[in-house]
Amino acid sequence: MLDFSILTTYYDLFFKGFLTTIEVSIIGLICSFILGVIVAVMRIAPLRILNYFGTCFVEFIRNIPLIIIVFFFYHGLSVYINLSGFAAGTIGLSIYTAAFIAEAVRAGIQSVDKGQMEAARSSGLKYIQAMRYVILPQAVKIVIPPIGNQFINLVKNSSILGVVAGMELMYFADYIHEKTYVTFDTYIFAAMFYLVLTIPLSLFVNYLERRLARSY
Amino acid sequence: MISFRNVNKHYGSFHVLKDISLEVDQGEVVVVIGPSGSGKSTMLRCINRLETISDGELVVSGIHVNGKQTDINDLRKNIGMVFQHFNLYPHKTVLENITLAPIKALGVDEKTAQETAVFYLEKVGIPEKANSYPSQLSGGQQQRVAIARGLAMKPKLMLFDEPTSALDPEMIGEVLEVMKQLATEGMTMVVVTHEMGFAREVADRVVFMDEGKIVEEGRPSEFFAQPQAERAQLFLKRVLNH
Repeated sequence: MLDFSILTTYYDLFFKGFLTTIEVSIIGLICSFILGVIVAVMRIAPLRILNYFGTCFVEFIRNIPLIIIVFFFYHGLSVYINLSGFAAGTIGLSIYTAAFIAEAVRAGIQSVDKGQMEAARSSGLKYIQAMRYVILPQAVKIVIPPIGNQFINLVKNSSILGVVAGMELMYFADYIHEKTYVTFDTYIFAAMFYLVLTIPLSLFVNYLERRLARSY
Repeated sequence: MISFRNVNKHYGSFHVLKDISLEVDQGEVVVVIGPSGSGKSTMLRCINRLETISDGELVVSGIHVNGKQTDINDLRKNIGMVFQHFNLYPHKTVLENITLAPIKALGVDEKTAQETAVFYLEKVGIPEKANSYPSQLSGGQQQRVAIARGLAMKPKLMLFDEPTSALDPEMIGEVLEVMKQLATEGMTMVVVTHEMGFAREVADRVVFMDEGKIVEEGRPSEFFAQPQAERAQLFLKRVLNH
């Protein structure tokens, strides 16, 4: 039986961490999405130098552990700039997730029939206009499922802030555990808070997927 | 209006267009025919630089298509193109398909663009479909929308890349009718097609291509009655007896 006194006694800490996790997730979601789309467009733009930088970013970032990226911003940059655990963790998480989103968006863009780009360009639209008004809106339908999965991963990966004093859910779960030595129950409650975020997100992604499948 | 001078194009080691020289005058309707893989579509796509040429000279409306100083977007605004598979934007309504380029590329205001779109939709005979999505239209209707989309830019020249090849036989007539009407109004047209009846009836000149070369060109009455090249004779025999 779970020891609910852990939850009632430390409810304020759990809740504080939970709110920070939401904050990190929202910031990370927005930043990683914007950066991911930019990198995806760089990877397929008709300019080799952009392809090169886009590919380097994706291959470098997605092939190293998230914790190293976060440590880079937290410890590595401390010589030049002192970032809080929250800032370093959020930046690292956003950059890490952006690499995966870029791949999903790139695959989505490339799965749009190439005749669409030809029709748009042959009507005098610039490459960026063709992307914005013709290709990306169609790619969205294709990339919603993989991007949704990345957002769910992002929420779970936000627990990395726990190791850089990011003051989120995992940080406070560790704190409560160290204070009470109640391991199992503390982390079960922490997991439940994550589920409160990830399950609705997962349902929302499924809903979007169904809705987009019905459109046009 | 269009001038190919000794144009060659290679895909790697494959020589797609071989020493193409062709002049198309303003108001002229040129129909390009030939067997599959003869380079017809590639030649057409070079005109608006959807394909780049390897060497030679290609000039459209006095502008070198592959010139370093050429603003290809500006040039393309004057060249309408209709594709085999229509290539309508599936996420946009018919009206939005037609108004997108005039608004974004020409800078026309939305109201004027919509009025122009409705005008051309009436011209191609489907004004009632303005708010439909492409998936709600038949193939013939989609291709007519594609033609209206090209015309809405008020181009000097229209390119047609096998516009009826993806259509059911009973839809072909309605698209050809629109194209015939355009031709009679004096639009400069280059049409790649397998529709020999259209070529015979509408073309000012027929160009026959095979293996990347222009094998023969001439007035349709002469070309269809007495093709000179042996390859053209064989092609016509097979196509017309089909």
